[in-house]
Amino acid sequence: MITLSDIPARAGSPGTPAMVLFLALIATAPFWLEAIGLYDYLGIEIAIWILFALGFNLLFGYTGLHSFGHGAYLGTGAYAFGLFQHHVALSLWGGLAVAVLAGALAGALVGACISHRRGIYYALMTIGFGQVFWFSAIKLHGLTGGEDGLLGIPRPDLVLGPWRVDLDDNTAFFWFVALLLGLAVVGLWRLVTAPFGRVLQAIRQNETRARFIGYDVWRTKWIAFTLSAAFAGLAGGLFAMAQESAYPDVMSLHQSGLIVMMVLVGGGLVSFWGPVLGVVLYFIARDVLGGLTETWLLWYGLMFVVMVMLRPEGLAGMLHTLRPRRPNAPIASLSAAPRQEPG
Amino acid sequence: MLDLLPHIINGLTLGLLFALIALGFTLIVGVMEVINLAHGSLFALGAYLALSTIGADWFADTGFGTWWLGLSLEIRYALALVAGPILAGLAGMALEVCLRPTYGKAPLYGLLLTFGAALVIEELIRLGWGTGEQSMPVPQMINGAFWMAGLIFSKYKVFAAGFAILVILAIWLFLEKTPYGAIIKAGSHDSEMIRALGHDLGRLRLLVFGLGAAMAGLAGVIMAPIWGLRPHVGIDVVIPAFLIIVVGGVGSFWGAVIAALLVGLSVGISGAYAPAWSMMSMYLLLIAVVGFRARGLLGRKTALEA
Repeated sequence: MITLSDIPARAGSPGTPAMVLFLALIATAPFWLEAIGLYDYLGIEIAIWILFALGFNLLFGYTGLHSFGHGAYLGTGAYAFGLFQHHVALSLWGGLAVAVLAGALAGALVGACISHRRGIYYALMTIGFGQVFWFSAIKLHGLTGGEDGLLGIPRPDLVLGPWRVDLDDNTAFFWFVALLLGLAVVGLWRLVTAPFGRVLQAIRQNETRARFIGYDVWRTKWIAFTLSAAFAGLAGGLFAMAQESAYPDVMSLHQSGLIVMMVLVGGGLVSFWGPVLGVVLYFIARDVLGGLTETWLLWYGLMFVVMVMLRPEGLAGMLHTLRPRRPNAPIASLSAAPRQEPG
Repeated sequence: MLDLLPHIINGLTLGLLFALIALGFTLIVGVMEVINLAHGSLFALGAYLALSTIGADWFADTGFGTWWLGLSLEIRYALALVAGPILAGLAGMALEVCLRPTYGKAPLYGLLLTFGAALVIEELIRLGWGTGEQSMPVPQMINGAFWMAGLIFSKYKVFAAGFAILVILAIWLFLEKTPYGAIIKAGSHDSEMIRALGHDLGRLRLLVFGLGAAMAGLAGVIMAPIWGLRPHVGIDVVIPAFLIIVVGGVGSFWGAVIAALLVGLSVGISGAYAPAWSMMSMYLLLIAVVGFRARGLLGRKTALEA
């Protein structure tokens, strides 16, 4: 099986063909979405979840830390955004900054409690903490509105100097989300191709060895968790704007598991772009299969089970094995060697 | 203290039932090193299948169905108590066959596959039994309440607790006193050595998974009249189960039982002071125990930590 490290990462220039294609697609999406039978709001949802999934994959695919409670940080960001609008000030940038900070803070606290764990115990601890967040969101009626959630979260206008854009219009809001997504993707790409990204992958391949080489493994794991929670917080703030509400459902184990499924189906273990494919596939499956049958989750779940059995490297892995190899790629021999993936 | 007594008894009952759920889970984790996230769904499946057995949902129109519905509820309930777990065990065996490609890979894949399976089973339940909440009929003999020492007890809860104790003892005897139990315990210690000694590891895994799933189903049938039946009950169940395993120490029989009782007690006692928050106490228990003893109360080092 191939892994992320088998696909050579070149220098950190974001000018790869995939990046150009991705940025071009999200920049022009409102022009062709309707033509292929989709709609603006779906574009917004997909863009927000791509942001969430890419941040999550920093932890899941790159560092090999399997969080099953990541919805908690998305929800934290959403609540932080809503509470800021309701109680502090009606401000777009203020709300998003608070959403990112709230996600990062929650991630930093949880990360500090779990970064000494590894493997399946790490996953179990993230489930435990995720449930604490979910449960608190349901029970803290005064703050979060309980099971109904926070309703009536406004979409503040985007103010840039003399400019003022009304984001209530879904097309305008899509471009705003796409702009943030584009910036985040370029930033994440820089991060994973930088030495820091190499350390993350070293930890995934062999945590003990990374420690012996002299990296501060605990701190790196903690930073990776905090960063990915911060991205989740940003996605959560945007999600609260998109839905004009924040509710505990996004923090449930079910939702946290869905993001894992999306990333894995897309091939997040194999490619930076895997999560993008996975999110797009999930939402299109939801809309297309969901229009045909009530039980689309059954078919999606079955597809996922078969995928884990036969092709755990996901869509991106399949695409990668289809592509012709460069003859002298030193990497070919590496991927041919059997290797035990550390949990 | 006396005011707390009902809550303590309630908590212990809940703990015994949790132990029933967690033992099947720990059996599978111990031998297979698979975290079975579908455990809760098998629990729900067992309960729903028992419900259909009692109500003769699929064969009510046939002659057999009429004869069956003519039997007393006691007999039908007792048979459902057997049929539900057996069917859930068969579903578990099918799941084990699907799991085979993931052996030898990172434990993550088993976790993911069973998560997908949980989703599938839950949707199948929605498809077969509808999304609404259903209740399981209980024979008159163990229905209702009785007074003892100035306290009111639910007959069904007493029955459920007693039944749970019996099953826990039976499983313990099976693991400790029979040759099969010895093989299973050896398998959880070193599965390679088991194969080297000439035992069929594939068959052992199939049987252990089936047994674990059947225990989940049995717990489901017992729990259903107390908790009610919803398609997503699986998620509500798998969380306490995994939490108990982590608190008790992965693969430890008595660790799981003790942790289950602790979790039940903490839920029961905190229910006396802050009912809305009682379920939260088990997560706090998890964080407290694992913060101090990373491997849980009675845990040993396992391959899952690598």
